[in-house]
Amino acid sequence: MNHRLISGFASVAIGAASALAGDVRLSGAGATFPAPLYTRWVSEYEKGHPSVQIDYRSIGSGGGVKAIADKTVAFGATDAPLTEKEIAAMGGTDSVVQFPAALGAVVPAYNLPGVDKPLQFTGAVLVDIYLGRISTWDDAQLQKLNPDVKLPKTPITPVFRTDGSGTTHVFTSYLGTQSAEFKGEVGVGKQVKWPLGQGGKGNEGVAAVIQQTAGAIGYIEHNYAIANKIAFGAVQNKAGKFVLATPESVSAAGDTSSAELKGNVLRADVWNAPGDGAYPISAFTYIVLYKQLENIKTPADASALLGYQRWTLGPGQKFAAEMHYAPLSEKVQAAALAALNSVTHQGKAIPAQP
Amino acid sequence: MTPSSVATPPAPEANASGWSRESGQAPPESSAGATLRRAKLGDALLGWACRLSAALIALMLISLIVVLVHSAWPAIRQFGPGFLVSSEWRANEIERPVRDAAGKLILRDGETVMETLPPAFGALPVIWGTAVSSAIALLIAVPISLSAAIFLVRVAPKLKIAGAASFLIEFLAAVPSLAFGVWALFVLAPIFQTYVGPFLYRIFEPIPGLRWMFYESVTVAGRTIERPIPLTGRDLFTGSLILAIMILPIVTSVSRDVLRAVPRTQIEGTLALGATWWQSCIAMLRYGRSGLMGAIMLGLARAAGETMAVTMVIGNNNQISPSPFAPAQTMASVLANEFGEASEGLHRAALLYVALILLTMSLIFNVIARRLVIGRLASVSH
Repeated sequence: MNHRLISGFASVAIGAASALAGDVRLSGAGATFPAPLYTRWVSEYEKGHPSVQIDYRSIGSGGGVKAIADKTVAFGATDAPLTEKEIAAMGGTDSVVQFPAALGAVVPAYNLPGVDKPLQFTGAVLVDIYLGRISTWDDAQLQKLNPDVKLPKTPITPVFRTDGSGTTHVFTSYLGTQSAEFKGEVGVGKQVKWPLGQGGKGNEGVAAVIQQTAGAIGYIEHNYAIANKIAFGAVQNKAGKFVLATPESVSAAGDTSSAELKGNVLRADVWNAPGDGAYPISAFTYIVLYKQLENIKTPADASALLGYQRWTLGPGQKFAAEMHYAPLSEKVQAAALAALNSVTHQGKAIPAQP
Repeated sequence: MTPSSVATPPAPEANASGWSRESGQAPPESSAGATLRRAKLGDALLGWACRLSAALIALMLISLIVVLVHSAWPAIRQFGPGFLVSSEWRANEIERPVRDAAGKLILRDGETVMETLPPAFGALPVIWGTAVSSAIALLIAVPISLSAAIFLVRVAPKLKIAGAASFLIEFLAAVPSLAFGVWALFVLAPIFQTYVGPFLYRIFEPIPGLRWMFYESVTVAGRTIERPIPLTGRDLFTGSLILAIMILPIVTSVSRDVLRAVPRTQIEGTLALGATWWQSCIAMLRYGRSGLMGAIMLGLARAAGETMAVTMVIGNNNQISPSPFAPAQTMASVLANEFGEASEGLHRAALLYVALILLTMSLIFNVIARRLVIGRLASVSH
């Protein structure tokens, strides 16, 4: 008892001493979608690097972009890649570095009591559901896609996000590739006008509606569906295969874009990606830095930031699948590291982390 | 001065002039002067503190309006009063091919001509949602509230439970709206979904004139489809129901005060003229009608501004549907849903424009209500 108390005090004292030793504190802010993964990364990284403290605040992609543009954080995180306007506000392509950190997927989740097997959807069927043209689950089109399942007569309640979100952006972007009519009538964006259905705020709002309503279908993030044990279906990809969202299938979707990822501002839209194993409603989530790190004061801070980001693109990737995100494929990791390595500290090379 | 403050003897320290006058015994000259000066200083300080606080409250309201108008200005300038009657609410840009009158694609140099529709904002769906949900809520709550008020004034005192009953009703008013929302979402909505909805469907759907209650038409790209509305329990009707429950306490307690202020002579007079108990209650309601109107207006103001509970069960779809079983959206719920992530300039301004309309509306309701209630209570007590 006494021993434990004393050692407890000792470790507190050591902790205080190391904090006093003036080590590095870094802050990041932005996207809420990858926040659980980033929090895990930070805690894993801090175990190996006790002199570094990183604080990630999930305030939304828009907030993250604003925070890095205002130089109030060391790094920003966003689900939607920077727009040209946002890049210009940060000083143009030459002063920004953007690279993917991981991938996520959006899944069609539903509540159909008695249906245990994952259903199969095509993009066209999802469009028809969200435009009100398929109104019951036993619709001929749905039944044809799922010949082994006895679908009930239950009416379909489409559910959507009411708040602006990257999830809606990815989902509408995918549906836009599937139907010109959808693209021209509902359109693509973080928040769109759905012609019918129920709205929920946030993943949790949509999930609540799905869980409470027999016959509901909604789009939510893959990791959220897994964590809350909500059933979700497979979606037909560009190659015609029905694929369930898994870390592997989502990574595969990211891998198809590796040829596009060049330079220091990386972005690639990976919805509707080609390839047999690619899950079609996938997207990268990005980290944004200043290329010259003019928002970072000391070289020690710069080397810690670089060290942490390199770690996330290397050893850190194995935590992505554990947290039900998807890791970057090797080629994408290489492209992201190349972008990250173009960073300097106010023009000077950054020393390796001690 | 109210009787209670007369009854308390003035504390000598706090009121030096009263002490010296009433006691009739002059304290030593110098100390009396000092006390007097100190008291005068205290009076002045307190007076100014009160004035400042009052001014601060007024200033807060004014600055609220100024800030709202200022932040909503881009939307006010762009949409003007047309905002109130436009039903398009779309935050995203749409890029699409231009079609001619016959619906054919227009080609130029072998390529389709594209057009870009900018984001558009109109408040009609949320004004509709607010108006209809508040109206249904009043329709449900007012008869119950008035009956409860009559009970509290005329029946409960005889049963010696007036205190307990009043306490229970006022306790309802103290329940946070989130608690009502959670209850509505997890109890009311499922009950509606499993029992009430199918029951209503079975009874009313076959009636020829009532098809609009259970079917919605969805128009996309000029094609209209009629489809059954899924009865989910998260719709305009459930939203109205929870609003009705939430405004019950305020309408009941204000109505009770109004009815209590009806002079006994009035009631005794009606009874003396041979009115039955029931008729004398009606006479009582008639006597207090403008005060009761005020109570209803207060309920209306609360219903229009209620946010959390409604957001949880109204379905959150910015649409105008004639059916009470279709999802809808109110002014307050659109703010709760969209404000957090509305970074884009015009979208934010449009939401603040909605907030400004809501504030103006509640202000008007409240002013009318206060006039009616206070006017009534004052005229009765004289």
